[in-house]
Amino acid sequence: MGLRNWAYYSKHAFINIFGNRLVHAISIGTIASSLILFGSFILLFYNLNHWMLEWGQSLSMSVYLQDEIDQKTKARIESLLKNLPSAELKEYISKDRAMEDLIDGLGVHSGLLEGLKENPLPASFEIIFKDVNIRQLDPQGMKEEIEKIEGVQEVQYSEEWLDRLEGLVYVLKVAGFIIAGFLCLAVLFITTNTIKLTIYSRRDEVEILKLVGATDWFVKMPFLIEGAIQGLVGGVIALSTISLLFLLFSMDKVHIIGLPVLEIVFLPMAHLAFIILLGLILGLIGSFIAVGRFFDA
Amino acid sequence: MIQLFRVSKSFGTSKALQDINLRIRKGEFVFVTGPSGAGKTTLLRLIFGTEPPTEGQILIRGINLNRIRRTSLDLLRRRMGFVFQDFKLLSRKTVFQNVAIALEVTGERPAIVRKKTHQALKAVGLSKKEELFPLQLSGGEQQRVAIARAVVNDPLILIADEPTGNLDPDITRDIMILFRSINLRGTTVIIATHSQELMKDTEQRIILLKEGRMLRER
Repeated sequence: MGLRNWAYYSKHAFINIFGNRLVHAISIGTIASSLILFGSFILLFYNLNHWMLEWGQSLSMSVYLQDEIDQKTKARIESLLKNLPSAELKEYISKDRAMEDLIDGLGVHSGLLEGLKENPLPASFEIIFKDVNIRQLDPQGMKEEIEKIEGVQEVQYSEEWLDRLEGLVYVLKVAGFIIAGFLCLAVLFITTNTIKLTIYSRRDEVEILKLVGATDWFVKMPFLIEGAIQGLVGGVIALSTISLLFLLFSMDKVHIIGLPVLEIVFLPMAHLAFIILLGLILGLIGSFIAVGRFFDA
Repeated sequence: MIQLFRVSKSFGTSKALQDINLRIRKGEFVFVTGPSGAGKTTLLRLIFGTEPPTEGQILIRGINLNRIRRTSLDLLRRRMGFVFQDFKLLSRKTVFQNVAIALEVTGERPAIVRKKTHQALKAVGLSKKEELFPLQLSGGEQQRVAIARAVVNDPLILIADEPTGNLDPDITRDIMILFRSINLRGTTVIIATHSQELMKDTEQRIILLKEGRMLRER
């Protein structure tokens, strides 16, 4: 297939598109809408994964100490905790500091604590396990081990709610895959039917091309290119819309009670390229099905 | 050039052609005639490869159409021109584009396409109407565009189905002169017609069909 033929195919694909502007505009619009939904799902999952990774990589553990321990025991516990794999001893929170934090946290309701005769809160060491795979750590086993150390009252870690979040993300992912599958089918259906319409509107030309000796591929190629262009343009429009909406409506961080908790990130280059490529491939497959059906008939 | 051995063609229970044996040599000028429904168009379509025979063998330049691959048939058609009874011109394309299409499918260079198309349209006397659309032309002019498209590739075989069917006598004469001049250049020409007027005083070979059978030859 020479360069000359490609020039012919592309020229005729564009002539076909401009000749059936309205049908193609509707088709491209529908493809773009489907891909916007699809892209939004990818953006959501990408951010959920990003947050989970961030949290997963900074598993935190609070090691609560018994009240009556002496300095020597405390130092020994501190030393043991520092030697845990990937552990970073963030800080020591004394009983008094724990009470101050609680009073700050309760704010106007701190009066509730006034009746207390003594401070019931334990001192604690706050540990963070950074840049590690949470699954390799076995926090439950570690918790049990640390609780055996003399002077340690209790250990709490941040994995339980992470497990629950992971479960939620998994459900969302499955739902997302199903929805994405339907969206892909919708795009295929739209492209197939649009190309089928354009083939039928030009069937006299197809017939004459065959009668003057055109090969099947010579006739098919402009329609395939037409489908690919539809998908490509739909993909580019979808991506531009998602980018624009992201710029207009997103905040840098999600705030909870005024504190920045989650950083919102945009899709990386590979994901963006995937959306455009998906549009192109779906357009191509759709037109492939349409021309295949036409030629079989 | 063209050989048919015991060729029959049926459409359902209707027999369009029965037991046709025929040999047409290179450079011959042949009329296929007979009343309506005799099988003239079917015979031409079988030779052109747009219909397969129900029985028998058809050989074009030694190639058996029963065994030919689809792509090879496409390539063979580039060496055959067909002038259809209803012209089969594309109304959205100009006269020039309608003729050029037969060259474009071969992957010919654009400069050659332009040159040969101009030549073919000049040969049929339509040089000044290249940019018009088929519906802006008379029936005779449309017929000549169809002929230009059929001959633009310098075909070895030119087949025409009732090429003067709806044309007045003057245009009919012009078109027949055109076919003869194409034949003089070495192209085998087969014309299907039911017009006795067209074959009057002709020295050419005439094949008479009736009810799907070859009655006689002259």
